[in-house]
Amino acid sequence: MSALILTSVLGVLLLYLGVFGQKRLLAPVAVLGLLGAIGVSATGWWMDVPLFAHMVRFDNAAAAFNMAMTGLTILLFLFGVDYYARMERDVAEHYALMVFSLTGAFLLTSYTNLLVLFLGIEVLSIPLYILAGGKKSSYRSGEASFKYFLLGSFATALFLMGIALVYGVTASFDLGRIQEVAMAQGAAPTPLFLLGLFFIAIGLSFKVAAVPFHFWSPDVYEGAPTLVTAFMATVVKMAAFAGFLRLVQFTALPPTLATALLVMTVLTLFIGNIVALRQTNFKRLMAYSSVAHTGFLLLVVLGNTAASTSTLFYYTFTYGLATVGLFVVMTLVKRAANGSEEVRSFRGLYQARPWLAITALLLLLSLAGIPLTAGFVAKYQVFLLALQAGFLKTTVLAVAMALVGIAYYIVVVREAFTADEQPLEVQVTPLNGLVVLLCGIAVVALGVWPIQLP
Amino acid sequence: MLTLFYLFAAISVLSALVVVAARSPVNSVIALIVCFLSIAGHYILLNAQFLAVVHIIVYTGAIMVLFLFVIMLLNLNRSSEPQKSLATRVAAVVAGGLVLLTLLAAVRQGISVEPARDFDIGTGLVRSVGRSLFNEFLLPFEVSSVLFLSAMVGAVMLGRREKNPQAA
Repeated sequence: MSALILTSVLGVLLLYLGVFGQKRLLAPVAVLGLLGAIGVSATGWWMDVPLFAHMVRFDNAAAAFNMAMTGLTILLFLFGVDYYARMERDVAEHYALMVFSLTGAFLLTSYTNLLVLFLGIEVLSIPLYILAGGKKSSYRSGEASFKYFLLGSFATALFLMGIALVYGVTASFDLGRIQEVAMAQGAAPTPLFLLGLFFIAIGLSFKVAAVPFHFWSPDVYEGAPTLVTAFMATVVKMAAFAGFLRLVQFTALPPTLATALLVMTVLTLFIGNIVALRQTNFKRLMAYSSVAHTGFLLLVVLGNTAASTSTLFYYTFTYGLATVGLFVVMTLVKRAANGSEEVRSFRGLYQARPWLAITALLLLLSLAGIPLTAGFVAKYQVFLLALQAGFLKTTVLAVAMALVGIAYYIVVVREAFTADEQPLEVQVTPLNGLVVLLCGIAVVALGVWPIQLP
Repeated sequence: MLTLFYLFAAISVLSALVVVAARSPVNSVIALIVCFLSIAGHYILLNAQFLAVVHIIVYTGAIMVLFLFVIMLLNLNRSSEPQKSLATRVAAVVAGGLVLLTLLAAVRQGISVEPARDFDIGTGLVRSVGRSLFNEFLLPFEVSSVLFLSAMVGAVMLGRREKNPQAA
């Protein structure tokens, strides 16, 4: 709870720093504030009480998710020192909006009331619509912002209608009450309740970019500024999945809805991985890779066993670390390659900066799920959980698709390790190097010693 | 009372149909205003005075004026209406029809559901709305301030003119 207040105030403080033109103070203050938020979240461990008339509940899972998301945001802000160095205006707004978005993420991990879920999604999304259009000189950035905003509003409208229908049946927004009704109705819920839950699931599927609600993600990932793309791919995905899992844990998905979501999972796994094979732009590749990972994560949510929270946390956190590191590497390569975001421009990276190329290799291997990296353990846990939940055929498909996934990550690795006639002149600032190395070390360390939530 | 309900309901449905069917965007907006007013009528029938007033001020007033401004500024008319391909139209009709069918089926089967809670005549009064807003719904109320603040920051950020005209 204190973390929620702290980040809200931190955002306002950053805006004030912007007003007084203290651009150099922004990143240090933001990072210190977020470190404080981690500390405050940590003190809330085992202090699991419903707050504000059963609106939110910061249980251990919520605390863990909040700390991880704040940690990822800190890494992104460290990257932001260099990323925003050449930007004259609106820097404070960028930091503040990301902090506000993080506040929404906190609500998503801790809500026990559908109203708070709705507000959390909106507080998470609205800053993102703006941030996606943050590069005002770029046509693609404006397109990304507008597309994301329109489609996002449409998804929100469906989501709200779902909440209204659920309220019509249960006469309450409270998850506990909804759980009681869901239990009482059992396997054959009333159609209105089912439809309401279905619409809510559509709204959340849009946020996590599950097929067929994924069309926005490649364009938005490509058009948005890289730092914002990295934020969307990591923190937002983590928050949306935490929120989704909480909903499933409370409503215990009626069978009809579970079947529909399982079909979506299969489609997401298939389309995400197959289409990623054909991408030549690195950001679009990461977008489809993110859709593919959504497929694996949906399995965790659908499985809904005792290990779901821990598996989801480990998967999203390690995926986030690898993605943040890779986006930093991409930005460095992009600058050396005259602004090209193609996978081709990675060529000659090993020649220029061997350590950078090797760290990128580790991060890519983690995304692909090769043993000794965290990505392997994460995927292994997902498959184990899916088998326990009884999704035999889908798990077989997921394993096959994980193998397909290796192919497109290897393409990037191959480019990075191919020598080029013209050496790639990559400039690495110490902070950027630190972020990449931290991500690389964390991915290997978490692969060797996996963590589990109690 | 029941006559009034049916009157408002008929106006709502008919004007909503006009919103979708009207060729000129300005006619659509006017029909939408009528639709919103009739919905406000429903709220008054349910003794929800606060909601009715807010609905008229915010939706019928502020938002619809904004809509009209946008339409006039962009100078939208029939000739600038984008033409969709036949496949898109068919797909849209099929998708929309399927949702309608599902909703109708759900309502037909769910219509026998007893009201989960008895109707309380005082629920919609300003006093009780304020009470619940500052008691049980305090957190959502406060959190929405973060939402509005970020929206305002965004409006200022995106709307501000660039210094050098080439960048814009």
